[in-house]
Amino acid sequence: MKNPSNPTQAQRPELPQVNPRETLKTLAVIAVLVLAFMNFSSVIDLLVNILILIYQFVGHNFGIAIILLTALIRLATWPLNAQQMKGAKAMQDLQTDKEWMAIQKKYAKDREKLAQEQMRIYRERGINVFGSCLPMLIQFPILFALIPAITYAIGSYPLSILKLSKSLAAFGLQDVAALIPLNSKFLGIDMGLPERTLIFGVSVPILALIVGLTTFIQTKLTMPPANPNDQSAATGKMMGYYMPIMLFMFSINYASGLSVYFVISNVLSIVQYAMMGKVNWRNLLPGGKKT
Amino acid sequence: MQKKKLIILFVLLFALVLSGCTGAVAWPGLSTSGDVAYLAHTSTVYAVDLKTHNLLWSFSGEKAGFTLFNTNPDMFIVPPVTTTDGLVVIANANNRHMMYAVDPKNFSAIDKAPTPAVRWKFNQAKGLWIAPPLEIDGLLFAPNSDGKIYVLDLNDGMPEKQAVRTIEVSQPGKNESRLWAQPITDGERLFITSLDKAVVAVDLSTYEVLWRVDLNGAVPGGVALGGDGALYAGSLAKKLERFDPLTGAHQTALETKGWIWGTPVADGDNLYFADVDGYVYSYNTAEQRLNWEPVRPDASITASPLVVGDQILIATESGGIYSISADGKVSLWFQGKEKSKAYTTPVFAEDLTLVAYLDSDYYLVALDQNGKAVWTFSGK
Repeated sequence: MKNPSNPTQAQRPELPQVNPRETLKTLAVIAVLVLAFMNFSSVIDLLVNILILIYQFVGHNFGIAIILLTALIRLATWPLNAQQMKGAKAMQDLQTDKEWMAIQKKYAKDREKLAQEQMRIYRERGINVFGSCLPMLIQFPILFALIPAITYAIGSYPLSILKLSKSLAAFGLQDVAALIPLNSKFLGIDMGLPERTLIFGVSVPILALIVGLTTFIQTKLTMPPANPNDQSAATGKMMGYYMPIMLFMFSINYASGLSVYFVISNVLSIVQYAMMGKVNWRNLLPGGKKT
Repeated sequence: MQKKKLIILFVLLFALVLSGCTGAVAWPGLSTSGDVAYLAHTSTVYAVDLKTHNLLWSFSGEKAGFTLFNTNPDMFIVPPVTTTDGLVVIANANNRHMMYAVDPKNFSAIDKAPTPAVRWKFNQAKGLWIAPPLEIDGLLFAPNSDGKIYVLDLNDGMPEKQAVRTIEVSQPGKNESRLWAQPITDGERLFITSLDKAVVAVDLSTYEVLWRVDLNGAVPGGVALGGDGALYAGSLAKKLERFDPLTGAHQTALETKGWIWGTPVADGDNLYFADVDGYVYSYNTAEQRLNWEPVRPDASITASPLVVGDQILIATESGGIYSISADGKVSLWFQGKEKSKAYTTPVFAEDLTLVAYLDSDYYLVALDQNGKAVWTFSGK
């Protein structure tokens, strides 16, 4: 209870109440991340085993196994992605909210007060400030573990076969000797090596180009209509160009199995956004951003 | 805005660092031509003088004419092979599948270390080079992961080699037979193993496959000709297999505790080999029995044993080099640096035992007859 006669209490601004549920969720995500990175090799082993189980199930086709694993990961992280989308949308909507804009203007010179007011609005509207990035962060261990998992699982080189055998032995689920060597070819491409197609004497990384293109399309389609005054929209736009280039460069050097993962992941991401009615098809058209 | 840029940068850096977690995918290749050691280590092949232990030259492949998108790094893991005309054959295990023959007496450029001139190259293979080639009477038999043995004429004087013959080891309609081990010959036939669970004999007069035996496990190592005249090969099915060189008739000679990775080594009537569970075996081919119970030095073994005098030397994954006496007594002969790994088969030359290391301060160590390090080589 406030006592206006007490000057210390009257001067102290009201601290925003912490939502225990959101805090717990945030702490849980951080704990999962820390555990995952502390036991990174276990995450790799787990992914290798799942990948090889699928490989066996689909009749020893590594490309199909990667596609199904991607779909499985997408399915498992569906709620997280949905939450990320909701969080991003809520933060986006806030940028055009009258009350939000008013406090930005009113407390422009008082950062502490501005932060308190922002927290109040987050709390009142049930927005988790980490709502858009935590679900993304929790997927990082999976993505990072996929790189070595695919490299070991395909076993194009001697040491990767040894590492594969250790990964499979760690779970003891499969007859390793009967499986090795794996059939790493998919549509004529060795999934264990970076892909190059010779076109008129020039080796062109077709798969890496498809990765760049699908990433660009995915980013464009899922970008909400931009508010010209919104700084985060500018960051999003910047990412829309950086990400395709980064993933393209990445795919050039790594096993093409990873490129298959990126392509399928991008396509499924578009599908998920479309199912939630959040795809902006107009973004693909020239001048479409003005809508 | 600034914070967001920093977060993006952090995430990208984090991704780059973690993506490096794949680590090495292959171990170094090591060979000698008497007084020179050749070490194929990651992106470079080094020639080291065994007497002075100086670097004689290094070779990191040729720059591609058109480098756009050709960024798959060079990977030298195949033990270099010296041909009778004095050239050194080097194979690149990246996805450009290039094989070179360099002249160690002529240098094309002098940068940090002299670079030998390329005398010829060959790029018709479609798979990775993992196995070293074998020279027989002026012909080079080069097995590739695309399931073919490419036969190159060493005396045709061509700078861009074309295969004079291509021996198809893969069976029609089946997966490519990945050839990962150097073939051997008895003068009339060529014997080769396949990672795709087979041992194959090729008639050297017709280049036709004489026989093929399909096994239950992959065969990453090569075959050995035993003192009893039979062929021996180990497999990932935990078996040592015996073959009749003429007909291919085969039977399991011995069941082992772990996968057999390296090529067995014949020494008179004895056959030495090791398994991935870390056991070393001594098998008497004449009496078809073990000389002693398998011994386990300390860790996983992929290398073949090295017979030096009356001792057997074996390199283990823990970086240890163990000496095993004729009656099966094991002793630690040399221990590499902490966390270093020795997967490669050691070689012996100039009274030195050479051991190649992975994850160590040095790439190569030369040991004297007592297992004491005489010198190390770290690529400089």
